[in-house]
Parts: sequence; structure tokens; C-alpha cells
Amino acid sequence: MKLSDIAQVIRSKNAGPRRLTLDIMFASDAEYQRVVQSPALTAEAIGRLYHVPADAVTVIPYPVGRAIKIVMARAVMAGDPGDQDVYGAQQHGPLLGIEI
Amino acid sequence: MSASARIIADLRRTPRPIRLLGASGQLGYGIPADSFRTGIERRPDLIGCDMGSIDIGPTYLGKGEMATSPESTRRDLRRVLTAARRLDVPLVIGTAGSAGAGPHLDATLAMLREIAHADRLHFRMAVMRADIPRATLLDAIRSGRVASFDGMPPLTPEDVTQAAHIVGQMGMGPFRKALESDVDVIVAGRACDTAIFAALPAVLGYPVGLAMHMAKIIECGSLCCVPGGRDPILAELDHDGFVLESMNPERRATPTSVAAHSLYEQADPFTMQEPDGTLDLTHAHYQAVDDRRTRVTGAQWRDTTAPTIKLEGATKIGERAVLLCGSADPRFIAQCKTLLPKVADLVASLVSENAPPDYTLSFRVYGIDGVRMIVPENEPNPGEVFIMGECIAPTRERASEVVRTTKQFMLHFGYPGRLSTAGNIAFPFTPPEVSLGPAYRFSVYHLLRVDDPDALFPMEIEQV
Repeated sequence: MKLSDIAQVIRSKNAGPRRLTLDIMFASDAEYQRVVQSPALTAEAIGRLYHVPADAVTVIPYPVGRAIKIVMARAVMAGDPGDQDVYGAQQHGPLLGIEI
Repeated sequence: MSASARIIADLRRTPRPIRLLGASGQLGYGIPADSFRTGIERRPDLIGCDMGSIDIGPTYLGKGEMATSPESTRRDLRRVLTAARRLDVPLVIGTAGSAGAGPHLDATLAMLREIAHADRLHFRMAVMRADIPRATLLDAIRSGRVASFDGMPPLTPEDVTQAAHIVGQMGMGPFRKALESDVDVIVAGRACDTAIFAALPAVLGYPVGLAMHMAKIIECGSLCCVPGGRDPILAELDHDGFVLESMNPERRATPTSVAAHSLYEQADPFTMQEPDGTLDLTHAHYQAVDDRRTRVTGAQWRDTTAPTIKLEGATKIGERAVLLCGSADPRFIAQCKTLLPKVADLVASLVSENAPPDYTLSFRVYGIDGVRMIVPENEPNPGEVFIMGECIAPTRERASEVVRTTKQFMLHFGYPGRLSTAGNIAFPFTPPEVSLGPAYRFSVYHLLRVDDPDALFPMEIEQV
């Protein structure tokens, strides 16, 4: 099953101009538990998807919000020449197709 | 007696939960009238509004311009100012004018004075500036008190001298001082959004952790609700927790939606660094009061032992012009990622005949990789693409020259297998070139260690 079929929210945004944060949120505890225990969302797996080293990726389970947070460095600082997404709000695509 | 002194005296004399209205997460984009009226009918003790952040990019800070239009900004300011004066409660505005540097603050103050004059309002106003003097920063670099974070290169003296504007994010201290100065309206330059709402509870001795947690949530309006939105939100804070309620009856603050708000634009949902200390939400607890309200308890606070101020500065990097066009030719689209650099080379040979280019010219191809930082391999080509050429050059005229030349030679660029020999691209209108004015980048995003963070943010009192 794809992550986009399980999650209620899959979004990206800047956390400051130099970092990108991805939030995955779920409607139920069961769905949250199913995904948070999946090997598809380790720092290694996310690093491969986003072309960054695993040690540059932080994955934070947040059970009280039924959510998983992922944080990584932006390759281009927000607003620098060559930036494609100043707010970082459209970089969630690689997460959508993750098989759980 | 002005509003802040009256509220502080009232709450000291008769302790009770304090009511704070988060009127807008970004003042100047419109405040819904109905939910704002509902909020005012609840008689809040303070009306707070955030006006900006760093998220909007470097150009507003660099140019000294607001992101919001003057008309809607004035309308929102009038709405909150009129209500605060009618209730005789403090109005607190943070990060004035989108980026909180001198020109942003001054433009906001000018609007407030205009409104006051037109509506015959009179009040005492505290103004806190957030511009950090260059000499202070040069001295701080020399004495090793500026640190990098998030992978930013070290701050150099050139960064400081070249930046158009450099601001620091003030914490609660300047707001506390303003509230204790018997004022009706507080307008701050660049400020932590939490300070807008946490300072009054802190003055009154409410637990800072709870006040900070509450502030972190209500500074975004009703974004913490399902469905999230821009309506005002009311928080009622006591010494053990706070209750959140959107002023739009359709928005519900549920335990999960409120808890999840700690994720928003944050790198860590459990701990948040503020200039005055660290907010720890590890033991935060969220409980439904009813289907529209949630009570929050458990946030902890640790005062800092080494105060730091986050600095933000933007430097001009040139003048920007863009070219807007599209293509629906399958052969051009299939080859465009290799063709466009060739167009750029041809343009360079024409506009910079005998010297290396003094500008940069780049292309974003929407439909292929205009938006996404990571693009999957072997994606099929789209039926049409939008191409944005971007030039950053030393002058406006030079940037315009480059994109106009690019337009002509992209239109007629020949390549193997070309069928569409009358033109490679479509223009939605002409001229398709647009001069966007000066371009900036964030050159300062550092931490400044200081002994007395509040001393960086001078306060003036003005009788309006």
C-alpha cells in the first residue's frame, strides 16, 4: 500500500531558510503505528529518496500528533539564485509513492 | 492610565484566567470580520498580531518593502486598532511590515498614525526597533560572539557591511518592558512571534512554559484547528494550562489537531529554542473540553544561561528580469534541457562579445523540473511546458537586455530534427519579459551571543 493511501496529510515546508521539514500525519493510531514501524521511513530510506546522506536526515516520531516529522538540509537556501520553492511547500512528492 | 497598566493592575487585584486573542497569523492579508467580532465580544485582555517572518524570502527584508498590499494592511490595522481602543486593552504587533527592519516598522507606524488621525483615536504607543547596528556586529565578529548554524558559512565583515538590512529577533524582554511602561499599543520590529503573546502572562507571573506554548499556537490564528484557517483564536490561560477556541464556529481545536500544530514549520516538535530559553513539550498533554475546544497542560520552560539573538540580513545580488514563455512542441520539449544551455551560450556570445558574462541566466522548465528539487528518472515528457528564463545582472537595463535577447534566440533556435521552424515557443502576452527590480539573498542568518539581549532593541514611547 502506498503512503499516500494511508496518510491524512503529507506536506513539506521550510523550517528556517536552510532546512526542509516533511510532516506525515495519520487519522488513526493504528495507521500511525503501521507506518512508524515500517522500514520504508528510516533515515537511510528517506536519504535515498531525497539524494542526501542518511546522517543528514532526522526522522522524529510524534505519537501525540499521530505524525512523523522528517528534517533535512535544503540544497539551496530559500530565496538564493536557483531556488525553485522559496517556502519549500512542494517537495513532498517523493514521499507519496513510498510502499508501506 | 493606559491599557497595559490597567490590565496588569486588574489582573493583579483580581486573579483570574487571562484571555488572549490571536487576531492574525500574518496581518495584512485580511482578518475575517465575523470571527474577529466574535473574538472581541469575548472581551480579550490583549489583542496580538504577527505581521511577518523570514519564510517570505530575502527580497522584502532587503528592499524594505511589505509583502502585503498597503490597502489590506491598512484595513487590518484599522480593524485591530479600533477594537483594542474600544475595549481599552493592549494591541501588540510583532515583526511589523513583513520583515521587521526600520523601513517596515516606519511604514507600519505611518499607517497607524494615519488611521488614528482619521478616526480621532489617541493612544500611547511603544515602538521597539530590531535593526542591529553594523558596528555592534563587526565588533561581535572580532570577539567571536557570532556563531553559524544550520550549515551557514561563518559571518564575515563584508557580509555585515554589504547587507541592506540586518535585524535581530527580539524575545520577551522588550515586550515586557513595553507592557510595564503604561502603553496602549506596542509595535515591534523583527520579533519572535511567541513574545507577542507570552510577555503579558510572564509579567503577571503565569508559568512561562504554558504561556510560550500557548503563544506558539495562537500566533498562527486558527491554523491549529480542523479545518485549519486564518480566523482569530482565543486562548484562556490559567496557572495550570490553557484552553484554545477558534472564533469561527466551523473550526475545531481538537487534541490531535492542536498537538500536530507543534510540527508546523518546526524542526523539532518537542523542544523549541527561544531567545529567552527552551520550550520543552515532551510532557505536554492535550485534552478535549468539548468538540471545539482543547485544554493544554504540561509544557516546561528552561531559562537560558547564554542568551543568543537570531540575526537575519539580506544583500542585494543584482537586478532581476524574467522571460515567460511555453512550448508544446514534442521535439523541443524532449531536447530542451540540452537546448536551453545552448541558447544561453548564444546569448552570451551576442551580449558579452569580448568578455565573460557579467550576469547569470538560468531556466526553470515547469512540467519537467521547475518545481521539484528531486525528479524521478525516466518520467515521460509532458505535452506542454512553461519555461521561465531568469537573469540577474548588475543593472536593470542589462538584465532586460539579456532576457530580450534570450526571447528572440530561443524562439528561433535551430536544432537537429526541428519541424516547427516558425518558432519554438509560445508567449501568453507580449512583451513576455518582465523586470522585477533588485534581487536579494539571505547573507546573514546567524546567532549573536549577548549578555543583555534586551539592550539591542531600544524602545521609544510616542503619544499618538
